[in-house]
Amino acid sequence: MSTEAREVMLELDSVSLSYHTGKKTFDAGTHHVLNNVSMTLCKGEALGVIGRNGVGKTTTLRLMAGILAPTSGRVKVAEGKSASLLTLGLGFKPDLSGRDNALLAAMLQGSSRNEAEAFLDGIKEFSELGESFELPVKNYSAGMRARLAFTAALMTHVDILLIDEILSVGDAQFRGKALNAMQNRISGEQTVVFVSHMTDQVKVLCDRVIWLEHGKVVAEGPAAEVVDAYTQKVSRENKYVPEDKEGGQASG
Amino acid sequence: MPLSQYFRLINVMARMALRADASRLYLGYIWWVLEPLLWVGVFYVVFVIILGSREEDFLPFLMVGKLSFVWFSKSVTQASNSIVASKGLVGKINVPKTLFPMAAVHEGLYRQAAVFIMMFIYVLIDGYAFTATWVYLIPVMLVNYVMIIACALIGACAVCMARDFAPLIGLGMMFLMFTSGVFWDVRMLADTATAEMVLTLNPLAFLLDAYRQVLLDGMPPDMGHLLSIGAGFGAVLCVMVLVMRRASHYLALKALTA
Repeated sequence: MSTEAREVMLELDSVSLSYHTGKKTFDAGTHHVLNNVSMTLCKGEALGVIGRNGVGKTTTLRLMAGILAPTSGRVKVAEGKSASLLTLGLGFKPDLSGRDNALLAAMLQGSSRNEAEAFLDGIKEFSELGESFELPVKNYSAGMRARLAFTAALMTHVDILLIDEILSVGDAQFRGKALNAMQNRISGEQTVVFVSHMTDQVKVLCDRVIWLEHGKVVAEGPAAEVVDAYTQKVSRENKYVPEDKEGGQASG
Repeated sequence: MPLSQYFRLINVMARMALRADASRLYLGYIWWVLEPLLWVGVFYVVFVIILGSREEDFLPFLMVGKLSFVWFSKSVTQASNSIVASKGLVGKINVPKTLFPMAAVHEGLYRQAAVFIMMFIYVLIDGYAFTATWVYLIPVMLVNYVMIIACALIGACAVCMARDFAPLIGLGMMFLMFTSGVFWDVRMLADTATAEMVLTLNPLAFLLDAYRQVLLDGMPPDMGHLLSIGAGFGAVLCVMVLVMRRASHYLALKALTA
């Protein structure tokens, strides 16, 4: 987990992103998501991104994954490197079974049909979904979806893993197992960007953390330092977050 | 994404959608044939029984027109909503946005294969001859397919840019159904100039007429006209693919935020 790895895998250079909502709910109908954000990600590094809801964390990952393009600035991914975004959210086709969803996700990320099918048994086993693996995802509980999403993500082999809140759902037993698996992955050569409200997980997994506020970077540095500053600020502003519960859920 | 992977994905997505769709319904795959038949049944009740159409061969006429029209209308309507309906995936993976409408069109192709087979069997049972002219069905279907893809891509972009287009496309399909000679014969129009105008201005009317010419009249369609429609929509298709490649990030942003 050394931050001394020198090879730059991904770089955001003065990146801004805004869009017209068309409904004039924001100033002149324009919503500014990110404002002049710069960051660098080196090979083998685990970078955490924290901040409250709506500060642009998911958008940052989408820019890194090449799903969105910045309004201004540049996103540079090292040549030949692939970045893949892993989220719990709406990525599933609810009418398809867990098996079909996992197969489709793998194929969309570039695996051949045979390669994708080779992952499936491993996904079924690790996710502990059992027979539910063959049922439509719309019948899954939130926890089951989380298991499937996490496991499908774990099996994917990409150069840069962009992880959006994927370790925050599911029961305690599975969460522990998932965290362990992710730690193993990170302790290898895996480069990771990790977005989470679970600040304790961020501390455990990440070398370096970036704190976003209103689409801007407000702090960047060693994980413990930035996370502590963030949780203290959130505690001060939100009387419902107990001071002594460091690392608790800090969503705003 | 390599082209082979692209086409493989279209096929996998289409087949998965078909399987999921069938598993949701009690009658499963039977609906592929049952739904178009029910449409024809509705028209038969209205035009033959209630309005008392005098023509003897009205039912085969109606079936060929309606079942060919349904291929266009259902594919384009479904494809138009496909990017927006897949916004979960659009927000997760950077894939060519044409993948979603293409998968929807491919799904329609599978369904239509069953419908066409049923239609051909019906036409033969009804006493129409299987002749060498049927070979003209190949270019007619091919042009029809190109036209469906071109319109599907336009529809998918339009709905992605503004959801308001979705109801407009529904209305447009209704308009096309009434103006393409689904249940009236363009060639029976009293004014031949009007008939020519409908066939020239509305390529769908021309195609439906071409199916009927081949299957019911045993005549080849106007190949020059057919090829010009194919070339026109082929050009639109190419332009749309290029536009959607260029605007991939913009379409993703629109799908995610609009």
